[in-house]
Amino acid sequence: MQRAIVICTILILSLSGTVAQTPQERYSQAGELYGSGDFSGAAAIYQKLYEEGFRSRDLLYNAGNAFFKTGDNASAILFYERARLVAPADEDIDYNLQIARSRVTDRFETVPQLFFVRWFDFLALLASTNIWAVTAIAMFVAAMLFAVIFLTFARARGRLLSFWLAVAALLLSVLTVSLALRNNSLVNNNSKAVVTCSIVTGRSAPGDNGSELFVIHSGTAVTVEQELGDFLEVRLPDGNKGWIRVDCMEKI
Amino acid sequence: MRSFLATMVCFLTAVTMTAQEVTLTVDAPESAVAGQQFRIVYTVNSTDGQFTPPKFDPSFSVSGPQQSTSRNVQWINGEVNSVSTTTLIYYVVAGTPGTFTIPPAKFEAKKFTVSSVERQIVISPEGSVQSQGQGQGQDQTSGQGQTSGQGQASQTAAQESGVSLRLLLSTRDVYVGQPITGTLKLFTRTNLSGINELKYPDFKGFLREDIETPPLRSLESEVIDGVQYGTGVLQRFVLYPQISGDVRVDPVEMTAMIQQRSNVRDPFFDDPFFDTFFSGVSTVPQQVATQPVTIKVRPLPTPRPADFHGAVGSFDLSSSLSANAAQVNDAITLTVTLKGTGNLNLAGEPVINFPQGIEKYDPKVTVKSSGTSSGSKTFEYLLIPRNNGTFDIPPVSYSVFDPLQEKYVTLRTEGYSITVTGTPGQAETTAPLFLPGEDVKYIGQDIRFIRNGSSKLMVPLAPLVSRAYYWSWFALALFITAVVLLFRREQLKRNADVTGVRNRKAGKNARRRLAKASSLLSSGKTELVNSEIARALWGYLGDKLAIPQSELTREKCYDSLRARKTGEDLITELDLILSATEYSQYAPRSEGESPAGLYRRAVILVGRIDNILN
Repeated sequence: MQRAIVICTILILSLSGTVAQTPQERYSQAGELYGSGDFSGAAAIYQKLYEEGFRSRDLLYNAGNAFFKTGDNASAILFYERARLVAPADEDIDYNLQIARSRVTDRFETVPQLFFVRWFDFLALLASTNIWAVTAIAMFVAAMLFAVIFLTFARARGRLLSFWLAVAALLLSVLTVSLALRNNSLVNNNSKAVVTCSIVTGRSAPGDNGSELFVIHSGTAVTVEQELGDFLEVRLPDGNKGWIRVDCMEKI
Repeated sequence: MRSFLATMVCFLTAVTMTAQEVTLTVDAPESAVAGQQFRIVYTVNSTDGQFTPPKFDPSFSVSGPQQSTSRNVQWINGEVNSVSTTTLIYYVVAGTPGTFTIPPAKFEAKKFTVSSVERQIVISPEGSVQSQGQGQGQDQTSGQGQTSGQGQASQTAAQESGVSLRLLLSTRDVYVGQPITGTLKLFTRTNLSGINELKYPDFKGFLREDIETPPLRSLESEVIDGVQYGTGVLQRFVLYPQISGDVRVDPVEMTAMIQQRSNVRDPFFDDPFFDTFFSGVSTVPQQVATQPVTIKVRPLPTPRPADFHGAVGSFDLSSSLSANAAQVNDAITLTVTLKGTGNLNLAGEPVINFPQGIEKYDPKVTVKSSGTSSGSKTFEYLLIPRNNGTFDIPPVSYSVFDPLQEKYVTLRTEGYSITVTGTPGQAETTAPLFLPGEDVKYIGQDIRFIRNGSSKLMVPLAPLVSRAYYWSWFALALFITAVVLLFRREQLKRNADVTGVRNRKAGKNARRRLAKASSLLSSGKTELVNSEIARALWGYLGDKLAIPQSELTREKCYDSLRARKTGEDLITELDLILSATEYSQYAPRSEGESPAGLYRRAVILVGRIDNILN
């Protein structure tokens, strides 16, 4: 009986030592590994946390740093791009992403987006999809309330005010819904991908027989246009299109 | 004539020998055949001077001179006599028939100049058999007695010699590029002292490649049609046809030196023993040529495969890779070997589509040929991977035309996969970066450090916008709003109906109650009149002003009336009447206004309010 208790205790202790590590503890452990110079160990933990579905600005940023230090520039860019979707105005992320990009072989003349598209995207990324979505609902409900007030209390004093408030709330609701949709398309249904293979050939058709159009190297971010079997049709930053094997790409 | 000249020469030589005078003599034939070689020999009995050759006719092709000097020391009666002689031999082939003059040659010594005599030479046209005893070869010492008979002897020798030259070809029906082995073989029935001027045609339409042939030292014996021939292979070569059609191979020509035993006995040494050493044998040149051959060269069938690079023959293709795994920038060698029989030298290199990221250099080509057209050709490709990853080297596909099967055969090798490890281009990235125009010197560039702050990890919820129920919230809000508005509108409508009826019937009801009050008044029940009036007024106000009975107070009524701008005097009057009616209920009748007066005022007031509100 006593022996059984001892065994049970040992089992529980050993299990708690390995299993009971919370994600937060593992995250901290990765930070310590990074500080002590074990970049690949840190990168592995960050990657694991990412795959388990955990997200935070710092997790993605640190993962990018760890991969950069191990020399995996493509993964570093991938995580910095992901971090930028969570925190669009973070200066550190932008700086590190710029350094990582400077080590990419391919150079493109990129056409900057129109300023209002840029502003709108920036606004959309300031909050998460669900925050925008909930705000939109709240605004809509408010608009409805003001409309009811306006229509019901015909002789109330705040009738005009409630009318304008209803209009404003409705407009805000429309705006936040579109921000939520934009955020969702930027963050969750991202069509951007990063080349992870050292070198990959873009072909004119999906398959190994299409004539070779271009060669891009790891770390280059492209836009995925469509998917067919094992191949993705991608658009390069300069506008050219070609088919690339899916196992050489990682979606942001 | 010749004998005279020879006597002259002898005489002159004798004179120079004794007198030690420098003389220049010329020895040239009087006649020759165009196209055949003859010699012009200049002899000078001095080594100390400058020899100037004559100006030969432009139609002569002259080679030489072959210069030799000799020294002769004599003791005659204890007296030493030393003579040096220089001999210059020109080999001349006359191009056109005719009579030509060889101008004198000069020999300039320090103190004097001597000239040779001018000579005439008759060149007869080619083909006419005019074999002359021209004193060629080793018969310089044979003396003049022999020369007279030599002409006849060589003439007969040319006819009977049975010297022939044959070009033996392995095949006469080939495809373009298919190698033909040619053997140039000599057949002879007489002894030959040598072969001169083996002249090959230009083999138009072919590429000729000589096979190393051992020099002909001895002839082998071979019996053809009962006749014994001495045979020998002069040269073996391979011909690669370059153009299609019936291609003619022009004859190969040569001059055979026929060795012939002289019919004329030497006048001085009439002994068979000396015959072999001295003048018993003479050499006669004879032109021999092969028969022209026509070779049927067939074009390669079309269409040609894309990977055909000119190789015709029977081949095997193999390949090997030096390593399957390498570091970035480490060299790997891919060796492709083409082995077999055919036009190895003309086989082009295979086209291999090496994957991007591997630097390829032009192949090193080595041909190992085992004598004839069989052997192997090796293409060594030096590959340097510049990026890491796994690269597939595709199988090499190489088509050759097999003349035996008369079709194209596609040879293939296996493909390879190379695993390259290492970091590409690491050396370039470590270069420090300097930003211009800055006081602060930036030594390096690196990413910023990680953030170890208390970042809250969380698994984000699935985006609401991608869920249908999210959008139903909007619909729900809209629906609720609609329901509320509809309900409210219904209620308002109902209220509007009730108050409207009450409003319309207010005056009527009031008048009915006032009529009742008047009847009460006439029947003398005056104590009930006031309360009837009050009830009429309150009822009227409640109906007319749409105030529920429960909320009916004087202030509310007054406010409502004021809001409808009925005038303050009316309200005062109403207040007065209402106060009076209330007062009369608790006070004896003696005090205050009489019920009849109050009744009249109330009727007037209701009429006035009715007028204003309607």
